[in-house]
Amino acid sequence: HKRNLGGNPGCTGGCLTCSLYNGCLTCLPKLFFHLERDGMKQIGVCLASCPKSFFGTRSPEKNYCSKCDSECDTCFDKNFCTRCRAGSYLHKGKCQESCPDDLVPSDTKRECVPS
Amino acid sequence: LGLCTLRHGAAGQGQSTPAACSPQCRCDEDGGADCSGKGLSTVPAGLSAFTYYLDLSMNNITELPANVFRNLTYLEELRLAGNDLVFIHPEALSGLHQLKVLMLQNNQLKTVPSAALKNLHALQSLRLDANHITTVPEGSFDSLQQLRHLWLDDNNLTEVPVGPLQHQGNLQALTLALNRISHVPDGAFANLSGLVVLHLHNNRIQEMGKNCFSGLDNLETLDLNFNNLKSFPEAIQTLPKLKELGFHSNNIAIIPEGAFLKNPLLRTIHLYDNPLSFVGRSAFQNLSDLHALMLRGANMVQDFPSLTGTGNLESLTLTGTKIRVIPADMCEDLSVLRTLDLSYNEIEELPSFQGCMRLQDITLQHNNIQQIDHHTFQGLTSLRVLDLSRNQLRFIYHDAFLSLSALTNLDLSANSLASVPTAGLSALSQLKLTGNPAMRSSLSAKSLPKLRSISVPYAYQCCAFMACDSTPSSSERDDRTKAVDAEMERVPLVVHCSPSPGAFKPCTHLLGSWMI
Repeated sequence: HKRNLGGNPGCTGGCLTCSLYNGCLTCLPKLFFHLERDGMKQIGVCLASCPKSFFGTRSPEKNYCSKCDSECDTCFDKNFCTRCRAGSYLHKGKCQESCPDDLVPSDTKRECVPS
Repeated sequence: LGLCTLRHGAAGQGQSTPAACSPQCRCDEDGGADCSGKGLSTVPAGLSAFTYYLDLSMNNITELPANVFRNLTYLEELRLAGNDLVFIHPEALSGLHQLKVLMLQNNQLKTVPSAALKNLHALQSLRLDANHITTVPEGSFDSLQQLRHLWLDDNNLTEVPVGPLQHQGNLQALTLALNRISHVPDGAFANLSGLVVLHLHNNRIQEMGKNCFSGLDNLETLDLNFNNLKSFPEAIQTLPKLKELGFHSNNIAIIPEGAFLKNPLLRTIHLYDNPLSFVGRSAFQNLSDLHALMLRGANMVQDFPSLTGTGNLESLTLTGTKIRVIPADMCEDLSVLRTLDLSYNEIEELPSFQGCMRLQDITLQHNNIQQIDHHTFQGLTSLRVLDLSRNQLRFIYHDAFLSLSALTNLDLSANSLASVPTAGLSALSQLKLTGNPAMRSSLSAKSLPKLRSISVPYAYQCCAFMACDSTPSSSERDDRTKAVDAEMERVPLVVHCSPSPGAFKPCTHLLGSWMI
């Protein structure tokens, strides 16, 4: 996700400040700061949406990506999944191994769906 | 590009030729197309009709013309985040009957593009955060009957979009955080019976209707942090399923009696950074799922809150109050407590903490405690850290620490002790005794085999714990040499002792005053 949005000329991808070794250090407004693994290194990147199994946390000072609960593929916040990992099923934001009585597990959707 | 699993009926049409793609994008054979960060100002042509995932984020697209995605009838996820979108033609998204996820965050939209949204009947997730939205037209989401997750945070809304939200029975997660909302009217979320998460943090909310949350029968997470609330949000009483509640960083002075009576499932309550002056004694009763409670600076509170029925508390922080007495039966309610911070109160006497068998960390600094009895810490075999500094301790029973076999850190500094019992402190690695001017006697290293760091009232007391260069009198030397030799086999000398003796602070105690 590389795009120079008017930050420091040497920086691309939405960085406001960056360093050669560490990538982005701060982001342009409203973008999420995230540490991406690059081999042994971690480099800073600035994203408009956080990668899979991370969710975005916004605050006046900074926006950053935080880890979802381990069961989630994607999530709204740390308490609410929006898509589960294979083998568990989504119901009201929780990933469960089985579904409530009136619902049945759908493997394609990874959700509990009406029977 | 491990984007997705093989789609049914879309990509695998028995074709052997690779799926069509645009030269500006990277496409995979599953129907995923990544055209992000390519400096595009328009939607690229030539994408496969079976594209089900299209990422156009971080480009320079300023508007979406009519029918721009009309060939992509299998599209399920469309990412347009981080462009400069200002205008979306009412027909721009027509044909996307299977679209489930639409990401429009980080653009320049001033209003919700309601006309363009009208036919997205399968849409589940809609991101409109980080735009410049000031208005949400009536009926904006009416046709989105499958909508579950809606982001409207980081915009310029001045009020809750009550009308547009009123038909969203399937909505489960909503964020209106980081806007300019100052008031939440009664019935604001009346029909959102499916809502589980509601974020309203970083707004300007001063008052809330007593029934502003009525109808949210399934709400579990409510975030009201960083607002201007002047009084306790009584409206939470209509939230029977609430588990996570935050209203820290507001202007709330009083937590009323029975504050959380109607929220028995609460697990976390964040209420720090409020100018609390009073907390009702019954406020935190019967919260059997509450694991941590942190109350700081409620400076008018005089009575220890009743925690009956709140038996799973693992961490209790109650500081900066006028509490003088801890109830004798406190541990009957708190048998699984692990950390207890009662510093900066006015506590004079300690009960027995015997029932709190799992306690690992007790902080009682800055109180008025005068004595430690033999039963005060009896049975606390898991206790690791004990801070009793800045009290008025005069006396500690000789066996007060006998059962503290796991204690590693003990701070008794700034008290009025003349001596300290060391029986039972076999695991102690750090001991602080400075600020006890009456403690003149030498200390014995023998009973503190694991000590690594000690601070003492007088430098000469360090000589029992470290090799000193000054030459004590012969009789002292013989005793000490024997003691040191005996210890050397069993216990290595202390790594750090302060204040360490030196030329002007010899090991011998000169006439009782270091000034000479």
